[in-house]
Amino acid sequence: MQKIKKVCKLLIIMTTILSLAGCWDREELEDNAYVIGLGIDRSEHKGKIKVTMLIANPEVGSMQGGGGSTEKPREIISFDANDFIVAKATANSIISRDISYELLKVIVVSEDFAKDPDFLPIISSTLKDKEIRMDSYLAVCKEKASEYFLKNQPRMETRPHKYFQFMIEHGIDNGLIPDSTLFRYFSALDRGTDLFIAMYTTAEKEKNLSFKEEDQYTAGQLDVSGDLDDTQFSGAAVFKNGVMIDTLTGLDTRIINIWDDTTDIKDVLVNIPDPFIDNNKQLALRVTKTNNNKIRMNLKGVRPKIDITVPMTFTIMSNPSMTNYIQDPQKKQFLKEYLVKYTTSLFENVQEKTQTELKGSPYPLSVYARKYFKTYQEFERFNWVKSYPNADITLKPIIEIEDYGVQRKVLNNKEG
Amino acid sequence: MKQQLGIREYTSIAILMIGAKTTENTPSSLYSEAQSAAWMIPIISGGFFLIPLFLLLKTFSVFQGKDLFALIQRLLGKYIGFFVLLSLFIISSLAFSYDTRMYTDIIHTFYFRTTPLVVLYAIFLFVCVYGAKKGIQHIGSIAYITIWYIILSFAFALILSTKDNSIQAIYPLWGSGIQDIIKASISGTTLFADFIILTVIISNMSSTKDFTKGTWIALILNAIHISAAVFIFTCLFDRSLEGVGYPFHTAIRYFSFGNFLSNVETLFLPIWLMAGFIRFAALLYICTKIFGHIFHIKEVEYLTPTLATIYLLIGIIPETPLDVALEFKAKIRLIAGPAFLAISLLLWAVALLKGEFKHAKNKKGM
Repeated sequence: MQKIKKVCKLLIIMTTILSLAGCWDREELEDNAYVIGLGIDRSEHKGKIKVTMLIANPEVGSMQGGGGSTEKPREIISFDANDFIVAKATANSIISRDISYELLKVIVVSEDFAKDPDFLPIISSTLKDKEIRMDSYLAVCKEKASEYFLKNQPRMETRPHKYFQFMIEHGIDNGLIPDSTLFRYFSALDRGTDLFIAMYTTAEKEKNLSFKEEDQYTAGQLDVSGDLDDTQFSGAAVFKNGVMIDTLTGLDTRIINIWDDTTDIKDVLVNIPDPFIDNNKQLALRVTKTNNNKIRMNLKGVRPKIDITVPMTFTIMSNPSMTNYIQDPQKKQFLKEYLVKYTTSLFENVQEKTQTELKGSPYPLSVYARKYFKTYQEFERFNWVKSYPNADITLKPIIEIEDYGVQRKVLNNKEG
Repeated sequence: MKQQLGIREYTSIAILMIGAKTTENTPSSLYSEAQSAAWMIPIISGGFFLIPLFLLLKTFSVFQGKDLFALIQRLLGKYIGFFVLLSLFIISSLAFSYDTRMYTDIIHTFYFRTTPLVVLYAIFLFVCVYGAKKGIQHIGSIAYITIWYIILSFAFALILSTKDNSIQAIYPLWGSGIQDIIKASISGTTLFADFIILTVIISNMSSTKDFTKGTWIALILNAIHISAAVFIFTCLFDRSLEGVGYPFHTAIRYFSFGNFLSNVETLFLPIWLMAGFIRFAALLYICTKIFGHIFHIKEVEYLTPTLATIYLLIGIIPETPLDVALEFKAKIRLIAGPAFLAISLLLWAVALLKGEFKHAKNKKGM
């Protein structure tokens, strides 16, 4: 009896161990091809799309000290398909490994296709595929997505997942591109009241480039020379109800990122004209935002009134006019007032653009308006989409200057 | 000596059985009923539920140490009692089937995509059967051991998801209107209906007093817990919550610990599964006990595998996860709450009419 019991218990343990392998879902790293970037284009055939897959090789770079294999770090394939879910199976007629979207980092859509109303049903299938994570990024590229991936040849980060992760993260940190995850795309779509901005990128340099201020470029306009990859991330594509309508420059994107409390900006460096000299010299500033906006609305009247105060902290990093702020407190005051005036005018420009050209708020402002209604029915009757372009919106920056830069050197210069 | 179930163990089981509902589709179905005011529903339903629960517990306090079977037998007689118990059994059986099916669906859609559903379902139920066969004492101790880890990990998940939250999403304060909130709160009492079938295990407990105390603690904690979870999910998903099938699992797939650990759901999965096993093992144990009592079967433990097989067969009837959530489970939700409330009110009313409360008082007086 005792023996039978023991055997039974052993059998049970054995069968449970077998199930640890994951039954049918057993996966081998070697057997998988991970798609890092997915490109979507309009196809020449009607109603179809062109899918481009940027597939990373998991073997490359996994070994420390230069061992590893001599295989290439990536593989790119493009073909026509109905959607990008069945495309996984189609791709297997070219790629030997099992295609997986598990590690998908970025979905790149060509500008041409993003403006097509067909784009919405195609991108919505990301919700159905459980392999695609909602924290993947949505990006819009100027050229065809298939060409974009081919041209994108990073020198330093040859492993594509690292390249896109770093490129996007640092872009978001310095505010030049928006934090455009699929999650944010779909929540903006479900709210239906605000616009959504996606990062704008290109691997094609524009011809006849002219020099502009640091952040007024959109992707492809920055003239860089050297041994480098031409891919640039800068600016944003504006989506209304899930379809692209317009683009924004890096500066506009930055300002919107500063307004938006739901994104994190960390390292925004800007140039503004130095008020103390007039030979076009620029002050270097670092902008940080530690507190949230204060938003007050009066939505009762014919013209809704919205007051937004944006608290910002500035650090002054350069001093081309050699002004001595310590000896002259009045100059401090002057600089502060000048900064307030300057940012207000920048804010007003972008604000006007959102109200007249885009006719919608590019960040979730409508969410703050809901507080003033008791139920959703009332909020819907108010009709935010229609009221926004007429609203009287004032943006007031509150500026705190944290640091005036290294003073000692300036003092010496003045005295000497 | 027969092992007894203490207050700690009982409370842990009760918290796990009801609190685990936040990890399936409950938050989104609450949200679809009252929009941004969904977080109020668990608290208001908890308030509604107080009255029948209080009456039921009062009835039990007259019959010290007696469980639900003895009470029904004593108050309703053999025949009516049989029907009441049968309906209780059928409802909780169906609830068990569809809830386990939903768990399997979650595992199937998020984690094991190519494994056939039936195989996953069978493995899941196998573990529950193992737990249920061990008896409620074992389930209780396991529940008490793990509850801290489960609560901590769940709280951790919620805290992580607050990173992307916007608190404004809970406005407008009254969601789709006060009427909707009240309506949803009445059907929302189903959330707490498990408390009534938990009275079956009173006879395994050391005293009815412990049971009463544990029930109150669990009710309050659960109402707060579910409400907080719905609140945080609303802040995270905003309007999308209505369309998100399983918010907890979608959320743990969304956030990450920085760049280094980006896919963290595998940390939460085993803990969540553990909670699921305890919940369903306890429920299976209770169902078997009711079944055994109805048909006068002495050695109930041997029934567990058979019943579980039947539940598996019922559970795989719905074709798709959508059918489970919107048709089968929604119907059970609609019936279970009111039916259980009616039973508890009935028991109290009969006890009152029969003058049991007076008897008890007289006894005390003597």
